[in-house]
Amino acid sequence: MNGRERVRKALRREETDRPPIDLGSTPVTGIAASTYYRVRKALGLGDHPVTVGEPFQILAELEEPVRRVLGVDTIGIWNPTNMFGFRNEGWKPWTLPDGTPGLVPRDFQVDVDANGDTLIYPKGDRAAKPSGRLPKGGYYFDSIVRQDPIDEERLDPRDWAEQFEPYSDEDLRYFEDTSRRLHAETDYALVGNFWQGGIGDIAHVPGPGLTHPKGLRDPNLWYEYLLTHTEYIQGIFDIQADVALANLELYRQVMGDRIEVLVMSGTDFGGQQRPLCSPRLFDQLWKPLYKELNDWVHRHTEWKVFFHSCGAVAPLLDAFVEAGVDILNPVQCSAAGMDPATLKAKYGDRLVFWGGGVDTQKTLPFGTAEEVRAEVRERVRIFGRGGGFVFNTVHNIQARTPTENVLAMYEEVRAPARA
Amino acid sequence: MQDVLDSLKKAIEEGQAKDAAKAVRAALDGGAEPGAILRDVMVPAMDEVGRRYECGDYFLPEMLISARAMKEALALLRPRLVATDVKPAGTVVAGTVKGDLHDIGKNLVCMMLEGAGFEVRDLGVDVSPDKFVDAVRGGGVNLIALSALLTTTLPNMKVTIELLKAGGLRGKVGVMVGGAPVNDKLATEIGADGYAEDAAGAVALARRLVGA
Repeated sequence: MNGRERVRKALRREETDRPPIDLGSTPVTGIAASTYYRVRKALGLGDHPVTVGEPFQILAELEEPVRRVLGVDTIGIWNPTNMFGFRNEGWKPWTLPDGTPGLVPRDFQVDVDANGDTLIYPKGDRAAKPSGRLPKGGYYFDSIVRQDPIDEERLDPRDWAEQFEPYSDEDLRYFEDTSRRLHAETDYALVGNFWQGGIGDIAHVPGPGLTHPKGLRDPNLWYEYLLTHTEYIQGIFDIQADVALANLELYRQVMGDRIEVLVMSGTDFGGQQRPLCSPRLFDQLWKPLYKELNDWVHRHTEWKVFFHSCGAVAPLLDAFVEAGVDILNPVQCSAAGMDPATLKAKYGDRLVFWGGGVDTQKTLPFGTAEEVRAEVRERVRIFGRGGGFVFNTVHNIQARTPTENVLAMYEEVRAPARA
Repeated sequence: MQDVLDSLKKAIEEGQAKDAAKAVRAALDGGAEPGAILRDVMVPAMDEVGRRYECGDYFLPEMLISARAMKEALALLRPRLVATDVKPAGTVVAGTVKGDLHDIGKNLVCMMLEGAGFEVRDLGVDVSPDKFVDAVRGGGVNLIALSALLTTTLPNMKVTIELLKAGGLRGKVGVMVGGAPVNDKLATEIGADGYAEDAAGAVALARRLVGA
């Protein structure tokens, strides 16, 4: 059984020889570049520089030999422009803070400040204010909040319009060429990284890819404005949804039925203990727009809608299902109310679980290889029953994760079918 | 006067910053005693906000707007508190640990602690162990509150506590920890005095640690 068949069966809730494995098809199911470098070396697949396909979280772009050896069943078609607003092309050397040799795009322009922090420029434009900071000794960039003084009288949702643009012809050609090539030349399940249905995704609020973001950009204030300036927020959401809907049609034209999965949204709705907003606010602000977008996908394509939200989202899952979500990721089982058996029993017939395979806050980085195996075994048993499960860690495999643990995890998933 | 105090309490509970500021001004103009406004109205209002969060009526946005209302009311009250020599419930040095730039949770903890009558010195994000230790060395600090969101920066909590010990300061301050990858077990392992799972829990923990 090849990867594409395995994923298709899992999405249809049919059992497979082993759970399909995703690694690196999206920037929320990937692996930190430094960990990838060590894993690849341990597998005897070379110690050449790692291509940093996602500069914000400093994630590795997977290579074919690694995919084959680990048993990965998916491959992603990424947006050619990254979070910092420049294209992933023209690769050049960059050494990661921990000394790992890497390759980054030509427009990855950084400076190191007096603190030893690395600052990155949006669109590679050094005339702009830096939009991301990688703290000295840190492992990811984070957005720098560039908030102009807010004049409440002049707040206008259209300030946000430049963040949501129709696809360019160049992007569309890239999607068409890449999907045709990967569909013809590989037997992986193709994952379309659309993401544009991520309504009000807090990661994009500071506008890290914009030269000079306008309007409300401070994430702390954003959460307040959800209640105090609801009309303004609703206006931004409406603009985003309209553009996403128009782009979905373009995306369908160039992707056709070559992708199995459409990554719709990465908006996080959960903290460790509870949702970040009330179910009532979710129903008011988000659900109608999600439903419109997801319904469009279901009416016009065979794609399954992939929906990423970290955290304790159990109280929102009914609403997710009603809004047309097919696939839940990353299934953060360590968060309150996210017990694997309960989730599978309650939602296994309506949601495919893509993730939840092992905890990345504790077990994988800090546990022993045996603890990793035990947790993987348990999760595969629970989520894998009857299909409807794609194995992935809970979010990306983090930096400093022991190589031994990563290898033990994949061995365990690929272990011969259990009684 | 009771009407004014009731409206202040309601404004904080419901996150109406402008109304809270208006009510605190009216209360002061009407001759209410600043310490009593804080103790009998504003602190109980934030306790009620914490209670609503704990029982699932309130979520992050509701907490933030109430904390904002509290902050604006407190800014107006503070000069009068100082003038009348009202002592804080304790002094807390707070920050997100080295390598971590996430601060929504930490900010909320700071605002809730202020709302509970603590003096908070917020050192911000990406705070090195040295900076925490220097802040404690300066004196007058009862507690330090360490926050982390990233799994990769969690070890810096332990480093900070070790450095306090090495400097002979550990016995002088309580250490509380919080953030997504933290739990009770880890707090004990790294030698903290307590863990709180959210901002309301942080207030209860801080009160316990200072014996208030």
